[in-house]
Formats: sequence, structure tokens, C-alpha cells
Amino acid sequence: MAGTEAKGGMGMKSYWAIWIGLLCIVGIEVFLTYRHWSPHRLLLFLLIFAFIEASIAVMFFMHLKDERPSLFWSLVPALLFVLFMMDHFWPDALRLEHLRVVHW
Amino acid sequence: MVMAGHDTVREESPYGIQHKKLGIWLFILSDAVTFASILFAYGYVRVGSPDWTRPFEFSPTIANGMVMTLILLTSSVTMLGAFEAAKLANKSRCLAWLGATMLLGVLFAALHIREWLRMIEEGWRLFQNPLGGPALFGATFFSITGLHLTHVVAGVVAIGVVAVKFNRGRMDAGHVETVGLYWHFVDVVWMFVFPLVYLMNAK
Repeated sequence: MAGTEAKGGMGMKSYWAIWIGLLCIVGIEVFLTYRHWSPHRLLLFLLIFAFIEASIAVMFFMHLKDERPSLFWSLVPALLFVLFMMDHFWPDALRLEHLRVVHW
Repeated sequence: MVMAGHDTVREESPYGIQHKKLGIWLFILSDAVTFASILFAYGYVRVGSPDWTRPFEFSPTIANGMVMTLILLTSSVTMLGAFEAAKLANKSRCLAWLGATMLLGVLFAALHIREWLRMIEEGWRLFQNPLGGPALFGATFFSITGLHLTHVVAGVVAIGVVAVKFNRGRMDAGHVETVGLYWHFVDVVWMFVFPLVYLMNAK
């Protein structure tokens, strides 16, 4: 079995290069936070960068890119499906905005 | 197919990985859904609260969060160093990398607890907002960061156990990789907690 394990032998130099890249993304996130964008726009961009960061970490640090495709296709679509289904609650949260008490 | 013994036929895993590695991947999948649920719940109450509090100044809170991010990302690389050394059967180097990872994990937890104590001193509680906004801010902040902190502490303990057993020759590189997968997952979760819970609540 050991011979079929993911090799993941990128070498420490590559890992440190990815580490620098991830830190740069964090820097961009902090920079965008102080651009005083609307919360919805800021949230959208922070989520995009968070997903990019997470994808890099999962593929390179967790070596998912070196595993058999069967593992990827067993794990990732299932997670994305659950995340997608959770999105169905957003309209209810947004509905609360219109139910707020307005003081005249 | 692998023939073992006279009449036993063992079929290879379709994923080509050891059971413990598949187990930790399944755990990570379920834990990812747990964190996603709690982050969605936070997003729900945040959107639904008209006067949501944004209390975090750049210094000390956001700056502290950036340092914590740096520490956790660095600990992921040291964990990879441990796995690379374990694959080469370099025991001393592997233990050194594992020790560095644990040290960074403890440092992360210490900074986190210091942040909590500062907020508690300011009057923040699970259901109390000293700024007069929704009390749910404290509930969501302490729940999300607390759950993550619990994972960090559990990870440090797990790495310690693997380090001791690896040193005694009772665990191999596969165990180091497995605990490493868990540790990287803790890092991945923080990649969402920091922007959503800290940056989205920056003044």
C-alpha cells in the first residue's frame, strides 16, 4: 500500500514559495478591508480570496493534487454540494432586512 | 489484487491510500461542514442584524490576527518539513520539525487567549455587547474562534502523541502525514475565520 501513497515531494523550497504566496493573499485581504467598500462587495472579494487560499493549501500542502482523482471526486463535489445547499438560507436572512422596525 | 496467504484475496483501495489517511479525509470533510454551518449561521445573524457591531481596530486586534495567520501558515510548512523528513526516515529532523509545529501551535493559542482576555476585560461576553449592539456578536465570535482554538489545542496534543510514538518507532511517516492533514485543515479553516470574523468586523 505504501507504494501507492501520494508522493507529495515538492521540496521545502516550493513549500516556502507557496507560503509567501499565501501571505501575499492575506496582505491583499487586509488591504481590501481598508478600502471602505460596501460590506457586500468586501464579503464577496474576501470569500474569493479565502477560497483561492484554501484551494492552494488543500492541493499543495495537503497533497490532494498528488492523490488519485477518485479521492478528489469523492470529497470535493460532496463538500461543494453541501455548501451550495446552505446558500438556500440566504434569502431568509436578507428578508429580515425588510422586516426591520423603521422609526419615522 | 494482492494475494496474501493461501486463500485470502485483498483488494486494493480504490483511492490507493491507507485506511487512516482515508479516515482523516472523511473526518476533515465532516468537520468542514461543521465549520461551514457555524460560519453560515454567523453570516445569517450578521445580515439580519441592522446595527451589527464592528469593534475591531487595526491595532491591536487586526494586527494580532495577522500575526496569528503568519504563525499558523508557518506551522503548516514546518509540518510539511516533518513529513518530508519522516519519508526519508530522518528521525531527528522529523522530531525537530514536529517540535517547531507544536511550538507555533502553542504560540497561536497563547495569542488567541490573550485576545479573548482583552475582550473579556472590555466587557465582551457570550451574550453581552459592551458597545450596545447585538449581543449575538459575542456569541458568534467566541463560538467560532473557540471551536477553532479547540481544534488547534487538539492538534498540538495529537502532534505530540505522534512525535513520541514516532520517536519510539511505533509510528511511521504515514502517521505523520495523517496528523499533518489535520493540522493543514486547521490552517484552512483559519483562512475563512480571519477574513469573515475579523476583517469583516474591522472599524
